Amino acid sequence: MSHASLRGKAAIIGIGQSPVGKVPGRSPLWLAADAARKAIADAGLKKSAIDGVLSGHAFASPFHRFSVAFSEYFGIQPTFSNTLQVSGATAATMFSIAAAAIQGGLAENVLIVAADSLMTGLSPDLALRSLTESRDQQYEMPFGIPVANTFAMTAHRHMKEFGTTAEQFAEIAVIHRRHAQRTPGAQQTKPITVEDVLTSGMVTTPYHKLDCSLISDGGAAFVLTSATQAKAMGIARPIYILGAGECYTHEHIFLMPSLTTTGAVESSRKAYAMAGYGPRDLHTAGVYDCFTGTVIMMLEDLGFCPKGEGGAFAASGEITHGGTIPINTHGGLLSFAHSGIPGSLFHFHEVIAQLRGECGERQVAGAELGLVHSLGAGFATNATTILGTENTL
Amino acid sequence: MSVHAERKPLPAPDADTARLWEGLRQGRLLLQHCGDCKHVQYYQQALCRACGCEDLIYRPASGHGKVHSFSVVHRAPGPAFKADVPYAVLLVELREGPRMISTYVGGDPAEVTFDMDVTLVCEQISDEITLPRFRRAG
Repeated sequence: MSHASLRGKAAIIGIGQSPVGKVPGRSPLWLAADAARKAIADAGLKKSAIDGVLSGHAFASPFHRFSVAFSEYFGIQPTFSNTLQVSGATAATMFSIAAAAIQGGLAENVLIVAADSLMTGLSPDLALRSLTESRDQQYEMPFGIPVANTFAMTAHRHMKEFGTTAEQFAEIAVIHRRHAQRTPGAQQTKPITVEDVLTSGMVTTPYHKLDCSLISDGGAAFVLTSATQAKAMGIARPIYILGAGECYTHEHIFLMPSLTTTGAVESSRKAYAMAGYGPRDLHTAGVYDCFTGTVIMMLEDLGFCPKGEGGAFAASGEITHGGTIPINTHGGLLSFAHSGIPGSLFHFHEVIAQLRGECGERQVAGAELGLVHSLGAGFATNATTILGTENTL
Repeated sequence: MSVHAERKPLPAPDADTARLWEGLRQGRLLLQHCGDCKHVQYYQQALCRACGCEDLIYRPASGHGKVHSFSVVHRAPGPAFKADVPYAVLLVELREGPRMISTYVGGDPAEVTFDMDVTLVCEQISDEITLPRFRRAG
C-alpha cells in the first residue's frame, strides 16, 4: 500500500436523508437542503463549518453547477466545490474525492449532497431528457435505445451464457421488497411474489416492470472530515473510508469489452487492495440495483460468488439477513427509492447506519465492515467504496 | 410537450463521423482499418483507438454479422418511438469484428435469437441520414 493511500484518513461524521418517494411541492434544492441540515446536525456542526461541497446534477433543477446553486440556496460560501457526473457511479466517487480533498488540505469539512425530483418535479420535456439524454445521439439514440435497454442486453446475454433465469431476476425484486418493509419511509412496501414480477408487464426483454428500479423524489447528504478531527470532536461512531476504486471501460454499450463481466471487477479489486480486506470479510453491502439482473452480475464481479452463479447465490438466501452478505437492507433502488444521482447515496446512508448500529429491526448484528458499489450508464461507470468502524482500521 | 419530443433523434454528422453517414447514403457501412496496427473499428473517429495512428483506411463492411445480444423494447423511450413498439434492439457483431447497435427489420421481433445471422439493410430516413439496420440473413 502506498503511503499516499486514503485508507482511514477521512471519517463520515454526519448522515441525513430527506423524505423519499413521492414528495410533491419540494424542489431538488429543498430536498438537498433538508438532507444537508440533518447531516450537519448529526455531525454536531453548524452550516458555517462546511467549507467543501460536492454534488451531482439534478434533472428537475437543471443547474450546470448544482453544487454552487445549492450553496447559495443553503446560505454557505464554500472554498472547495464541484458537481460531478459519472452517472450512477457518482455517489461513490464523491466519497473518494471528498476524502482526497480532506487529505490534500483542500477542505476540512466536506458536505456530500444530491437530490432530485424525478417523480413529481419533471415537466414532460425534462422527463424525456432524463430518459434519453444520457445515451449517444449518433450511434445509439436514433435506434430508440434508452439506458434501460443497455442494462437489459447485458442481463439477456448473462441468461444465454450462464443459464440465469427470469425467476432468479424476480427473486431479487422480491428480496428487496421484503427489505423495504422494515425501512420507515420506504417508497414501496407492498409484498410481492416471483409471479407478481413475471406478470408485471414487459418493459424491455428480459426486464418486466418490477425488475426495474423506482422513479422517486428524494435526497441524501453526508459530512466528512479528517480522522484526526473526528477524534478531536469526540464523534461517537465515526465511519472510515478504508478503500476506494473506480473503473471506466467504455462509453457506448457496443464497446463494452464483455457484456457479462464489468468494470466492477477492477474497481473492487483496487478498493479491496487499499482496504486490506476481501469480499469474505464484509458484513453488509450496498449494491447498485437499478435492475434485478444488475445485482446478480455485481454479486459475481464484487467477488461474493463465482462468475455465472449470481442467480443461484441470491435465490438461496445469501443476500438477505442470515445469509453470507446481506445487501441493500433498506430496500435499494428497487423498493426504497431511486431519485437518480442520489440513488446510490441511499445505499451509503444504509451501510453507514448499519455500521453505526442504528438500523433497529433490520440491523445486521455486529456489522463493522461494509462496501458500497455504485455504477451507471450501462456499466460504463463503476466505483467501489469500502467503509469500516474504528475496529477495522 | 415540444414538437421536438415527437421526432426521433437523428445523428448530426460532425468532423469525426461525416464519412460514415456519406457512405450509408450510398448504401455502404464504412469501417475504419488502421494502416499501422490493422485494428478495425466502429464508430468513426480521427485516430485509431488501439494505437493512436491517424492513418485510417475506410472500407465497406461485408454487411454480415451475428446477434451478440438483443432486447425487445415494449415501453417506448418517449413519444417518438411509441408507434414502433415492440421493436428489437440488436447488438450486432460484424464479421469484421466490431460491434454496433441497430434495430431488427423485416420480421417479427419475437423471432430474434442469440447468434442469429443478420444482414445489413440501409434505410433512408432523410436526405442526409440513412440508418444501418439488420434483417435475418438468407
